[in-house]
Amino acid sequence: MKEFLLTQLRILTRHRFGAFGGIVILLFGVIALFGPVLAPHDPWTSLTSADGRLALLRPPSLEFPLGTTSMGRDILSQMIHATRTTVIIGLSSGLISIIIGANVGLLAGYFGGRLDEVLMRFTDIIYGLPFLPFLIVLISLFGRNIWFVILAICCIVWRTSARVVRAQTLSIRQRQFILAARARGASSGRIIYRHILPNIMPLLLLYTAFNIAWSVLAEAGASFLGFSDPDNLSWGGILYNLWISGKIRVAWWWFAWPSICIILLVSALVFVSRAYEEVANPRLRQR
Amino acid sequence: MRIFIIRRCLYTLLTLFAVATILFFVFRMLPGDPTAQVISPALDEAVQTRLKQAYGLDKPLAVQYAFYLKNLVTLNWGRSFTTAKPVFEMLAYRFWNTIFLMAAGLSFTLILGIGMGMIMAWRRNSSLDVGSTLAALVLQSAPPFVTGILLLMILSYRLDLFPTGGMLASGTPLESGFRLLTSGDFWHHLVLPSLTVSFYYIATPMLIMRDSMLEILGSDFIELAKAKGLSPRVVMIRHAARNALLPVLTVTSVMIGFAIGGQVIVEQVFSWPGMGQLMVQAASSQDYPVAQATFFLLAVVVILMNLLSDLSYCWLDPRIRLGARA
Repeated sequence: MKEFLLTQLRILTRHRFGAFGGIVILLFGVIALFGPVLAPHDPWTSLTSADGRLALLRPPSLEFPLGTTSMGRDILSQMIHATRTTVIIGLSSGLISIIIGANVGLLAGYFGGRLDEVLMRFTDIIYGLPFLPFLIVLISLFGRNIWFVILAICCIVWRTSARVVRAQTLSIRQRQFILAARARGASSGRIIYRHILPNIMPLLLLYTAFNIAWSVLAEAGASFLGFSDPDNLSWGGILYNLWISGKIRVAWWWFAWPSICIILLVSALVFVSRAYEEVANPRLRQR
Repeated sequence: MRIFIIRRCLYTLLTLFAVATILFFVFRMLPGDPTAQVISPALDEAVQTRLKQAYGLDKPLAVQYAFYLKNLVTLNWGRSFTTAKPVFEMLAYRFWNTIFLMAAGLSFTLILGIGMGMIMAWRRNSSLDVGSTLAALVLQSAPPFVTGILLLMILSYRLDLFPTGGMLASGTPLESGFRLLTSGDFWHHLVLPSLTVSFYYIATPMLIMRDSMLEILGSDFIELAKAKGLSPRVVMIRHAARNALLPVLTVTSVMIGFAIGGQVIVEQVFSWPGMGQLMVQAASSQDYPVAQATFFLLAVVVILMNLLSDLSYCWLDPRIRLGARA
């Protein structure tokens, strides 16, 4: 385990962008973990400033470092709460979808034949569903709840990793050591999870990063359109509130912080995945 | 080759059918009254019963499913809960608006992306190359509502160069279909939304063009062309770029499939009267017949694009075209 972590660290530090991405992700992780403790105010209370008036649409100041909304709510506190929501959604849908995708790909690639045909046709069908509209329909039908959002995202996001893992499994299946393991009488399950899985690990980490990035973007899109859990504010949700308040021409700060955070987190994930891509695909390293 | 095409087309039909089926069951799993997706609960009790009979909703699920498929194929998509207009008419008006915006955004993306990719490969490892790669990755990470609002803030609110939304200036009579293309005002309204779409998707063609150019610039026939004394520009455009285009074109149609999501957001930000905007309105006002039909139509676009990408790939790659694989 220590060995594994050290390798990950080495991959990230060799790559300057990768290191930057790693630090950003870590930072957001810490904010998400300690969120409610760090927030100076309740994100939903209309605040009064020192002069005794309601603090409506205040630009960033010492009192309100990131400014306030048209309802006088502290944006810093909202951002901290939203970070937690985004990290929960991104992490859980990223992980669940990579587990589904990896298993579908491994089974289809290893067993081939009828099972492969069925699983891949099913993947094709999922590719036929437009992602964001599907998310919107599901959320509007089943209720605006964070767990439905995660479920709906997982339904779609696994498809890419399934295809990639299957292709990789197909090529690994032919290698000598797999044939040797089979000759020794190893069970299919053992071959798949003990012999093939470790070999596609770099690929899985790469696609975990991608899946998280796609989940974060999808959630941001859906919540910007107003399809999100009202109890769990997210970055997209803050932008939705700005959009419906109609204050977009005046309140640049209200727009800036959530936008910057989305771009930062997603590009951090992209940078990290590019660092892994070089490991998964050593041909790129020579370029 | 022919077998490959026929099989692809059959799979496409299968996928369409499966998506329609998924849609049927998803809308039928609605919490509460399962008929609420066709008949507005706001209607009179007697009217509701009559409509239920008309739509076959008092029949068992299997019969309802047959009804549903028949109505889907015969374009009998019901009426909107909110406007009471036939859903098909509402969609027919918006379909082309969405397609025009998509086409414009995609053309921008391809022209900019291919051009930039060429220049980046030519000046490989220069600050321009590194800077553009970084810019592409950041743009890809910026959701379209962020870039869209940013463009609006700078170019519309501040500089007043472009309209803030809509498809035609308010007060002008509503046009639709291809007549729109003759209106200068329409093109003026089209600029910002299509720029937003292309910013979001530009990274893919740009980086693929760059990589595929680099690969080709290293090959023997380029050395030969250089040795013949051809000018660098001719080598770049005539010899390298032409061959490097193939991988870019194959990802393009895949991209269109993904572009639908961005499209929905862009239409919302710029109040563009397309299918995406209708989808959002319908979903938030629980207008199920409209939401269902719009979703299906968007899925049809995605599925046809996937088919197109498979076929173009098979056509562009002579190893497949000439029948190495049946």
